[in-house]
Amino acid sequence: MTSTNILQVSHLCVDLYTTRAALRPVDDVSYEVAAGETLAIVGESGSGKTVLNFAPLGLMPTGVVTDLSGSILFDGQQLVGLSEPALRRIRGGKIGTIFQDPMSALNPALRIGRQIAEVAELHLGMTSSQAEARALDLLKLVRMSDPEARLRQYPHELSGGLRQRAMIAIAIAAEPKLLIADEPTTALDVTVQAQIIGLLKDLQRRLNTAIVLITHDMGVVASIAARVAVMYAGRLAEYGSVEEVLLTPRHPYTSGLIAALPSVDDAPGSPFRGLPGTPPVLGAPLPGCAFAPRCPQVIDICARRYPPLAGGAGTAAVACHVVNARQSKEQAHA
Amino acid sequence: MSTLIAIRLRNAVVLLVLATMLCFALVVSAPGNVAVLIAELRTPKATFEQIRVVEEELGLNQPLILRYGSWLNGALHGNLGVSYKTGDAIGPALASRLPITLTLVVGGAAFAMLLSFALGFLGALWPGRFGDALSRVIALLGASMPSFFVGALLIYALAVELGLFPTFGTAGLSSWVLPWMTIGLLPAAVLSRVVRVGLEEAMARPFALTASAKGLSRRAILFRHALPNIAPTYINALGAQGGAMVVGAVVVEPLFALKGVADLFLQGVLFRDFMVVQACLLVFLTSFILLNLMVDIGMMFTDPKLRRQGANA
Repeated sequence: MTSTNILQVSHLCVDLYTTRAALRPVDDVSYEVAAGETLAIVGESGSGKTVLNFAPLGLMPTGVVTDLSGSILFDGQQLVGLSEPALRRIRGGKIGTIFQDPMSALNPALRIGRQIAEVAELHLGMTSSQAEARALDLLKLVRMSDPEARLRQYPHELSGGLRQRAMIAIAIAAEPKLLIADEPTTALDVTVQAQIIGLLKDLQRRLNTAIVLITHDMGVVASIAARVAVMYAGRLAEYGSVEEVLLTPRHPYTSGLIAALPSVDDAPGSPFRGLPGTPPVLGAPLPGCAFAPRCPQVIDICARRYPPLAGGAGTAAVACHVVNARQSKEQAHA
Repeated sequence: MSTLIAIRLRNAVVLLVLATMLCFALVVSAPGNVAVLIAELRTPKATFEQIRVVEEELGLNQPLILRYGSWLNGALHGNLGVSYKTGDAIGPALASRLPITLTLVVGGAAFAMLLSFALGFLGALWPGRFGDALSRVIALLGASMPSFFVGALLIYALAVELGLFPTFGTAGLSSWVLPWMTIGLLPAAVLSRVVRVGLEEAMARPFALTASAKGLSRRAILFRHALPNIAPTYINALGAQGGAMVVGAVVVEPLFALKGVADLFLQGVLFRDFMVVQACLLVFLTSFILLNLMVDIGMMFTDPKLRRQGANA
């Protein structure tokens, strides 16, 4: 299993320094992604899931100093401590990126064809006419209607779904081994969402690309991912296969999230169930469990010591004192 | 798109006619009377009757609407009338002076564009560094110094003290350098900020992050992704500054003893030479309107959204 891992993240911490504040949005996170596999990273806004994926690639706003510790092995290469020019060769090459809002993520002043061809020129060393031909192939690959005409169009002339298809064409232009998709369907209509997820699955099968999907949509997770990591306040709360995490959630946060999903069985007019409380503001690392103030099962130790991510065979790994104490008790009985 | 350009052209002509009416009315209602000046040239302390004779000779006693009509009719046929002061035809005088003013303004605009891009990119490529600070200081100085002062400084430093360029005249390229710098510095200062701020705003937009995720360097993102996005804004600002430079010629031409249209205009104003003033204003107004037309078309070519609207219009 480990030998085929395209991405192996171990004990990654990300510290961000601005002129006014120091934050640790990612704290001691470990996970791995096998070649051709999809991992979903789920969490509320501000849980650190975007920083987790973009900070190691150097995709942070200017004026923010990023400090990484831990290890990220991608395709046999250590990404932590890599220089910006070396990262640049990986970005858009071996790692493609899809963003949330395809309207603002595409350049309004450039034709779609140019924006795709640019990647092929940069990473595949193509001439501009070869790259234009490649752009046309890619538009066909992402099943864009009338691809010849689309090449010459501008982003504002396309619908949201077509724009996201163009964005996907850009991301896969250099045949990446890993695709990072940051909420690729959030800005789209529900019907278009299903098409885009279907397209991603299809492309993954054809190109054998691993996908890290950042989302807060459990439906999307269930339809595409093999494994899922649940993030809360910069740490992993639960990490395991989709069946384990979605069907038998063990961490109180995951159970709360899944219980909050509206169900067909709900009586009409019944109120939305939410998780009480709000996530903590990211600052200095908390000594205890970040979910403790909102947790229905909280015990004394939760506020004092951070629960390590632990799990047995056949179950998802969980970072919770209560769950893990119960599990070790059960194992002692067995 | 061609229909949109046609509409703009038609509007430009209507605008031009309205503008000539307005400036005719303004010139006529300005204080001072050319007939008095001419009569006094002939006989000092001219009597009221002598002034009336001059007015009749010049056609100044006719109703305003007739005077405007005959002037407009002449202008359409290339006849801009005769100077009250010298008796020369104004058309040929303008024709010989126009190239000088055009050289001054177009050269100044080219200088302003070069300098503004150099300063703007100096700041955008290395934000917060020495080059950025330097470009800010130059922009602040350039925008706060009036052109007669800049011109005097340049003449003193580069022509009188260092002897690099002639102080006046139109002999060869080197004599144009100082006038171009003088008329172009203020537009360059303003436009350099348009470039610098525009690039910074474009770099903060999500598509710059996409470009970075494609593996492009910051320099490549600035030139290939940010620059096309500031083009419409820049062309708009360049148009406004171009208009300001036509006005600036009124100061710069006398400073360098250039016999251009602005110089002729000044002479006309000093002598209440209505026909000359009128003809010069016509040239200025036409250039403003043409400039605006060029800006509209330029923006249409650089902004994909406007181009699409143009295709539908």
